[in-house]
Amino acid sequence: MCGTCGCEAHVPGAPELALSPRARSHEHPPERSGRRLAVEASLLAHNRAQAERLRARLAALGIDSIGLLGGPGAGKTALLEATLERLGRAAAAREAVVEGDCATDHDARRVAARGARAVQVATGALCHLDAHLVAHALDELDLGGVERLWIENVGNLVCPAPFPCGERRRAVLVSAPEGDEKPEKYPALFASADLLVITKADLLPHVDFDVARCAASARAVRPGLPHLVLSARSGIGMEAWLDWVRDGRA
Amino acid sequence: MHEAKLCLALLDLAERRLEAAGADRILALDLAVGEWAGVAPEALAAVFPLCAAGTRAAGAELRIARVSGRDLVLRELEVT
Repeated sequence: MCGTCGCEAHVPGAPELALSPRARSHEHPPERSGRRLAVEASLLAHNRAQAERLRARLAALGIDSIGLLGGPGAGKTALLEATLERLGRAAAAREAVVEGDCATDHDARRVAARGARAVQVATGALCHLDAHLVAHALDELDLGGVERLWIENVGNLVCPAPFPCGERRRAVLVSAPEGDEKPEKYPALFASADLLVITKADLLPHVDFDVARCAASARAVRPGLPHLVLSARSGIGMEAWLDWVRDGRA
Repeated sequence: MHEAKLCLALLDLAERRLEAAGADRILALDLAVGEWAGVAPEALAAVFPLCAAGTRAAGAELRIARVSGRDLVLRELEVT
């Protein structure tokens, strides 16, 4: 035990040890004589306020907004493509999409090919979208007559969690091949969800994926979280998904 | 890995508060990191000295408390 602070030096998992180079080397700083200045300000509040302003702006335009989140390859864009196809070409023209990826405009092209108005945000090294990026991306789109905005975040189960982007509801996707333990491993993102979507359900017979376990572990961090099981490829579950998307609207 | 960006936001906020208080230097920062804030305290601690170099928080101590919840809050500064 350390004689200066009483901490359990070099015990794995002792939080003080991992935090700073000084703590790791276990040298204690000299006593300081500074005065204390209370701040109590959140570093995430700025984005939250921007997201709220964007959501209000969209609502004033009569535009609903849905965030699509999940790891790379969870099937976010494929679900969006299948959704647009089921809505039909005329309705798809009233859907707007902000696509977030580190690089390329593949996804914006994919959804634009199904009739949606799409803009791609290439984030470079940035690992998630934020409200500021989305608000500026919307400058590129004509929102006249748009009924719904989709915000497809960068494929990532960690970083997007505390950064709302102006979406009214969040759908978090886990694909059958990814594994049913994702909500246990990445609780923060599932805690921010309004819907859990288990995708690629056509592959369920071929993989060890326990739908009940996945849904229960997501509900452990987000009580009451509803879930859907669907396949964009086979079409199973798509009607229930569209019901959720429409949320009682026409 | 957005800790560097958050670290710059932290320093921006800290320096503004420092100026508002009419103080000169930041000696220490007390930060509360929520367990679901999507922030790795180790990564924040690693980039802090680099981000703080050349600011009035250069050489300051970053004290991180892990708390529940999903927020990232600058609680207090120690200034001179």
